Amino acid sequence: MPTIALSQVRKTYPGSSTDAVRSLDLEIADGEFMCLLGPSGCGKTTTLRMIAGLENLSAGELRIGDRVVDSAVEATFVPPEDRKLGLVFQSYALWPHLTIERNTDFGLRLRKVPKAERIKRTDDVMRALGIEQYRDRYPSQLSGGQQQRVALARMLAVSPGVLLLDEPLSNLDARLRLEMRAELKRIHGKFGTTIVFVTHDQWEAMTLATTIAVMNDGVIQQMGTPDDIYERPANRFVAEFVGSPPINLIEQNANTPIAAAIASYLDGRLHDVGAVALTGIRPEAIVLHTDAKDVPQDSFNLRAVIEGVLPTGGSWIVEVRAGGQLLFMTTHVAPTLSAGDDVTMVVEPAAFHLFDTDGQRMLNADKALGHSAG
Amino acid sequence: MRVETPLALPDDKPSFTQAMRYKMKLTMREPTTAVGFVVAIIFAYLILLPVLSILLDAVKVQLGDARRIGGEVGDGTLYYLHRTFLSPVAQNFFWGPLKNTLSVALGAILLSFLIGTPLAWLLSRTDMFARRWFATALIVPYMLPSWTFALAWTTLFKNRTVGGQQGWLEAMGMTPPDWMSYGQFPITIILSLHYAPFIILLLGNGLRRLDSQLEDSARILGATRGQIAVQVLLPLMRPALFSAALLIFAKCLGDFGVTYVLGLPVQFDVLATSLYRSIGSRQTGVAGVLAGSIMAMGIVALLIDAYVVREARRFVTVGSKGSMDRKSQLKKWRIPATGFAAFIFIISVGLPVLTLTLSTIMFVPAKFTLDNFTLQYWIGTDLETVAMRTGILLAPDMWSAAWNTLRIVGSAAVSAGFLGLLVGYVVVRTPFRPLSTFLRHVTFLPYLVPGIAFAAAYLSLFAVSHGPVPALYGTTAILILALTADQMPYASRAGISAMMQLGKEPEEAAQVAGAGWVRRMRSIVIPIQKRSLVTGVLLPFISGIKGLSLFVMLAVPSTDVLTTYSLRLIDYNYTQAANAVVLIIAAVAYFGTLLAQRLTNTNLAEGLGG
Repeated sequence: MPTIALSQVRKTYPGSSTDAVRSLDLEIADGEFMCLLGPSGCGKTTTLRMIAGLENLSAGELRIGDRVVDSAVEATFVPPEDRKLGLVFQSYALWPHLTIERNTDFGLRLRKVPKAERIKRTDDVMRALGIEQYRDRYPSQLSGGQQQRVALARMLAVSPGVLLLDEPLSNLDARLRLEMRAELKRIHGKFGTTIVFVTHDQWEAMTLATTIAVMNDGVIQQMGTPDDIYERPANRFVAEFVGSPPINLIEQNANTPIAAAIASYLDGRLHDVGAVALTGIRPEAIVLHTDAKDVPQDSFNLRAVIEGVLPTGGSWIVEVRAGGQLLFMTTHVAPTLSAGDDVTMVVEPAAFHLFDTDGQRMLNADKALGHSAG
Repeated sequence: MRVETPLALPDDKPSFTQAMRYKMKLTMREPTTAVGFVVAIIFAYLILLPVLSILLDAVKVQLGDARRIGGEVGDGTLYYLHRTFLSPVAQNFFWGPLKNTLSVALGAILLSFLIGTPLAWLLSRTDMFARRWFATALIVPYMLPSWTFALAWTTLFKNRTVGGQQGWLEAMGMTPPDWMSYGQFPITIILSLHYAPFIILLLGNGLRRLDSQLEDSARILGATRGQIAVQVLLPLMRPALFSAALLIFAKCLGDFGVTYVLGLPVQFDVLATSLYRSIGSRQTGVAGVLAGSIMAMGIVALLIDAYVVREARRFVTVGSKGSMDRKSQLKKWRIPATGFAAFIFIISVGLPVLTLTLSTIMFVPAKFTLDNFTLQYWIGTDLETVAMRTGILLAPDMWSAAWNTLRIVGSAAVSAGFLGLLVGYVVVRTPFRPLSTFLRHVTFLPYLVPGIAFAAAYLSLFAVSHGPVPALYGTTAILILALTADQMPYASRAGISAMMQLGKEPEEAAQVAGAGWVRRMRSIVIPIQKRSLVTGVLLPFISGIKGLSLFVMLAVPSTDVLTTYSLRLIDYNYTQAANAVVLIIAAVAYFGTLLAQRLTNTNLAEGLGG
């Protein structure tokens, strides 16, 4: 199945002064599981709807395979019904007046698939998703998770090459969500479908995607594998948005002891990389030592005081104050510490994320700090 | 990996012509807008054109007046404005009827408040007996045609001023005075009984939604019941009360039937009957001025209402858990309160219906002996009358009128229902905003135009052939067209709200699955909206079957419907038969409303109030 390519795509809704999406470049390869991740209002759903053809572009070009399906310059617009995609809505949008079976075989009937084959394909997909026992029920008689499966089955029945999913799991409870994630991953493997998945939930994106595109303000901030995104955030926004508890950010220009300590630590290791404006340290990269003798040689270390210990069930979040700033760290080992204890916090050099004055990642610093290449 | 994030706009911005071509392509791809334009043209022709023609008639020299005014037919003139507002006959045409209209409307508002306010409170906030039953029963007057009550009134109170069968009081030897039999007094009473359900519904809804914690807080601070009512409840209910008053006012402006029946014998004219009279005497220009005046007053009333409702929204108190259904204990007042509700029910529904029913099975009015009762007016044969020699149920004329009603009102209701859904679809879906605004307003316009004026415009517009449209006078087509247009306010509102609730997604899902527009309408939109489509057909049907003014103007004997047939019977003094027909109409309207209510699972009378 073809690649989806958006180039220089802009979308402004009528009557709105700001762009929902601006100059978006995005390529989705065949068989990819692509997540569009971002806060609400970042333009991810708009992007999905433009791919589906439910919104048109204000500028730019959208191709599916070798075919331009939407371009203002070429005055081309292929309507959604001719794009042969699948789309699952956040609200599922099942047709309330049709049974589960009729919901599922709607697309096959439209395509005038011969009856025998239609029945077979409908049965297959309903069985695959475990909804065959509900075939004669109506959507309102099903639970949220079951409705979700029907919404998926409805689209999978016509085996589209591309499946678009708009936050399909956000209305499910935690357990069902986990199950459906596994289900989606299975479908992706089994049907070989290209999947474009919109979500604001970073765990969902991390666990499902082969590629994540992080969006904000109508612009793609970073595109890469889940590891890329987490380990090498391209800019301040991505660093802050991905990760929970969030990354610890230290403003190097703020006149704090911690900023000075980091600056002097980095000084010896970095040469000619430019001014560092911001340093980020992931919570799990901080290690606490009660005995200063245990502190490894080459690492960054700083005296710190415990402010609080918050159990989260199986792991702990520890708040420490170091060099005038409150930092979060996480640990999976039960801490023996309590508020008020003095400790030394230790960070490996490779765990530092450096950003320049524009908030962009300083790539030339990564090597010097021992970051593995992306 | 790092992605460039260019903030500048792309260079290959489409040129103006490219942009236009693209826009055209998008617009034409979906038939929604094209369909919208077709519907808009239909309504421009069926609604806007008639309304404009009435208004233009007011300032153009009309046929037959050319010599008197000086000028050619069709020239602009202020003659009719002068004649209606300033000339010596203005008193008869306009000022007198205006005074009567206003005093009847104000009287009706006051009286319906006196009746409706306590009932609304009793029904929504107390432990009165049989509350649920009364909640429906007290709305019934609004489901019945208003002139039914007028006929019941004449059956009881008609005096010797007018010929024909005597009223019951007269027959029992008591001659009621004219003021009691005809004119302002009975008209005011009937209109207030007819519109009191507005107050009950609007105020009752307001009271039900009111957070009872507001009252509790006042009580804790030491307020008495009276203080709470005056200082807390009344101010909060003011928008609802005001809204109800304005609606009643707008409705009274256009009410024709009641005054037609009860005002005529004492030359009591309101604006609607004055309009009817001026059309009847071919004073088209004056009719235009009168219709314009009625519309202007209706528009002002509704604008004020819209403003008040918007203002009221600012301090909407959304019912929290405090809005629980808590009832005041009436204690020793429980029986008197129930008695009051029962009394209102009896005089507003029981008595009129009973009177009409009894009058159809009695030879002589008000003689309650066994030999005076008969079913012959319903099912008799070989009666001693000149015409109407069979009972009403055996009269072929009745059945042909019933069939006409079903055919005409039915077709109009079906077309209004479908057009309403279509309007709803276009209004909600079209990306072309002006079209949506136009459709919303044009379909609401007939609400403001008195039926008489609307019918008059249809007469003058469609009586002769215009281009491809043949002369339609005397055909059922003109009735169907006029009735469809007249019912569009209800049908389009039903359609719009139904489409608003549907949302885009089920349709988009079908679109992505590969369904084109026609297929989506057929397989998704219409099936999902089946229920509201049924309502959209049923509501206009009920309202059309009660309708009088359109038919009075446009029906001819061959296209007689039940309403005009009953009026004809009254004119010939076949009182029993006429009342029987009226009862049939009332029954159809009542059971139709119940059916619609059952289908939609809502209290439909609330929808009728709007």
